[in-house]
Amino acid sequence: MDLSFLWLALGQIISPQTIAYALAALGLAVCFGFTGLINFGQAGFMAVGGYAFAITSVHFHWAFGWSVLASIAGAVIFAFILGIPTLRLRADYLAIVTIAAAEIVRYTVKTPNIAPVTGGTDGINGSSHAFDAFNPIPVGRYGFGVLTYDQDDLWIILVGIAVTAVAALFVWQLMRSPWGRIVKGIREDEDAVRALGKNVYWYKMQALIIGGVLAALANIINIIPTSLQPDNYGTQTTFFLFTIMLLGGATTVLGPLVGSIIFWVVLSLADGILSLGVQYHWLPITQLQQGPIRFVLVGIALMLLIIFRPQGILGKKREAYFGA
Amino acid sequence: MKIPQAQASRLAHRARGALAILIAAAALILGPAAMASAVETPAPTPSASPESIEIWIRVAADKSNVPNASVLVTGPKGFSQTFVTGPDGKAFVGLPRAGDYTLLVDNKSLPAGKGTPPSESNPRVVTVSPGDVEDPAYFLLVPGGTEPSVPGSTNTPGSGHHSSSGNNTDYGALVANLTANGLIFGLLLALASIGVSLIYGTTGLSNFAHGELVTFGALTGYVLSGVLHLPGWIGIVGAAVAGGLMGLGQDAALWKPLRKRGVGLIPLMIVSIGLSLVLRYLYEFIFGSDQLIIPSDSHAAFVLGPIKFTSITLISVILCVVLLLLVAFILLRTRIGKATRAVADNRALAAASGINVERIIRLVWVGSGVLAALAGVLIGYYQTLRWDTGGSILLLVFAAVTLGGFGTAFGALVGSLVIGLVVNLSTLIIPANVQNAAALLIMIIILLVRPQGILGRRERIG
Repeated sequence: MDLSFLWLALGQIISPQTIAYALAALGLAVCFGFTGLINFGQAGFMAVGGYAFAITSVHFHWAFGWSVLASIAGAVIFAFILGIPTLRLRADYLAIVTIAAAEIVRYTVKTPNIAPVTGGTDGINGSSHAFDAFNPIPVGRYGFGVLTYDQDDLWIILVGIAVTAVAALFVWQLMRSPWGRIVKGIREDEDAVRALGKNVYWYKMQALIIGGVLAALANIINIIPTSLQPDNYGTQTTFFLFTIMLLGGATTVLGPLVGSIIFWVVLSLADGILSLGVQYHWLPITQLQQGPIRFVLVGIALMLLIIFRPQGILGKKREAYFGA
Repeated sequence: MKIPQAQASRLAHRARGALAILIAAAALILGPAAMASAVETPAPTPSASPESIEIWIRVAADKSNVPNASVLVTGPKGFSQTFVTGPDGKAFVGLPRAGDYTLLVDNKSLPAGKGTPPSESNPRVVTVSPGDVEDPAYFLLVPGGTEPSVPGSTNTPGSGHHSSSGNNTDYGALVANLTANGLIFGLLLALASIGVSLIYGTTGLSNFAHGELVTFGALTGYVLSGVLHLPGWIGIVGAAVAGGLMGLGQDAALWKPLRKRGVGLIPLMIVSIGLSLVLRYLYEFIFGSDQLIIPSDSHAAFVLGPIKFTSITLISVILCVVLLLLVAFILLRTRIGKATRAVADNRALAAASGINVERIIRLVWVGSGVLAALAGVLIGYYQTLRWDTGGSILLLVFAAVTLGGFGTAFGALVGSLVIGLVVNLSTLIIPANVQNAAALLIMIIILLVRPQGILGRRERIG
């Protein structure tokens, strides 16, 4: 029996995908967990950031740093476009507008008319050149067994971990600062904070911007080792991020990071076990039916979490944004 | 139907021109590197869309090509366009997406004396899988249209060719067709939207799993008439019954206990997202990811000027209108309807005045389930059906409900018609694959100017 899937699942702990989702979920926690904004457009922020990065680096040959800046700028602009009309309205309007805006982005980049720039349904390949150009790690293969990485894989993993660590420190300090107390106050009672003379609208906008920028950075980490595919930024990505964030704890800094690791390791294990089940005919299903199962698992996890442990693994019950 | 090729291509040209200007402007701002890449890229053409069909019309007797024949192509998400064969008898049909497309050759556009395609192959459904290029749709004309044709016969397809010989162009016909499609789609959307709106009004839940109620109805109809080969009306009635039971079951098993626990509205919304993931992918697990087809008679049964209705479309429209009138009657004239509106207006007050709120909510769930399932089965007939049919229209439903005003049933109807029209008519000026984006954009703009929606009241936006 081939048990290499156990190693692959272990490898998920530091895979660029896990790191990227941890960072994007951290951004979501700033919006949803700490500030109470129902941002269902995190996948849209990822897409905007990713496209800004990939287009400027692949088509315009910008230097890596400038492409990252373009990505951040894209996320900031997207946050303003979403926030200005909706942050004054009731919370669920923001939910619907952000989910709609994320879908608009996905539909638009797939348009054949602008395919020369966005790559249409194929997306954009090869945005890693600028990043790999200053890779200090000597050419070679590192690791053991199935967990072997070449120098470029290792480089993005190390940088990804560093960026995520810095972002987590930043969010941690931010939430201990007066700014953090105000946004938590907005989450608990918006009117009370307004009565204290704070500009609630502007604080919400700042939270949305921070969350969006983290999603954009996350997607740069996500696409460098692979490629940019428009259909990876559908609504299901946002819901994955919600599951990750709620799993670890929406009102904690480490929660999204822990959540992402558990999420991808468990999914990878489930995939491996299902594959074995199909291969040895333990399960009466075909290989094609394997794909949907992971989504069913995520859906069940999301429902159970919300109902039975809304504070997640690391969160405190009293701080759960929606104590049941 | 007559062809708006000249105008359509002119419009498309103008849109492309505007886009080119936009790109050029962006290039100017972004600097010389950007400029170079903008210049290098070739102008996009209609054939840049990935999937396509090649139509080829010939005379069966002497295999001579038939130019200037018009073919109406309709497909998923309201795709409806007419193409004219060129001098080589061929027409290239660029498609926005994979799916099942129905091709109908307009017999009146064929040259006299050459015959018509056999009625059993006209209209014809062509299944376009993702990535298919120039799927063959060949028609052979026979005298009197009696002999069976040979679909996709002998000759290898030549290079596709977008027709340019629109000698009897008729822009009005295209607009009329798109308007009709828009209204029909709007009516179907309304069936689903009213449920979302009523559930929101009575319980405060933004139900992200409503699309799965729609798919549930469609799949029930598919199992009954597509798999078990029962008559179509049994499929429709069965879907309605199953949908009602599904609504009842969901409320009893999930939503009522959660209400009892006092779970907040936002967690409820997230639970509905989880439920929608579970159900949607269970459907895919059971039915696979391919298009499913509910058998129906696709002959034009009713012709109104340039617009043709198949019998099932006609039945759908009548059914929708009757159901919507029924919902309006129930809401406005019956005690249950009054109680429902009272609960939607102020739940505590309604409960205090002796209304059994839980019973009303249960009825709303049953009614929403029935309406959503009917919407699903009719959409299954009208367009095509897949495991994610309901999920893919969910955002349009939300857009319709938001547009009309959350929690108002009639707003949902108005919003649905607007969304249906926007989705279809927007294809006149923008590429068909962003038609849904247009509808969502309209919703965002309406929220900017009139956040309470068209028929909503200001206090609801809080």
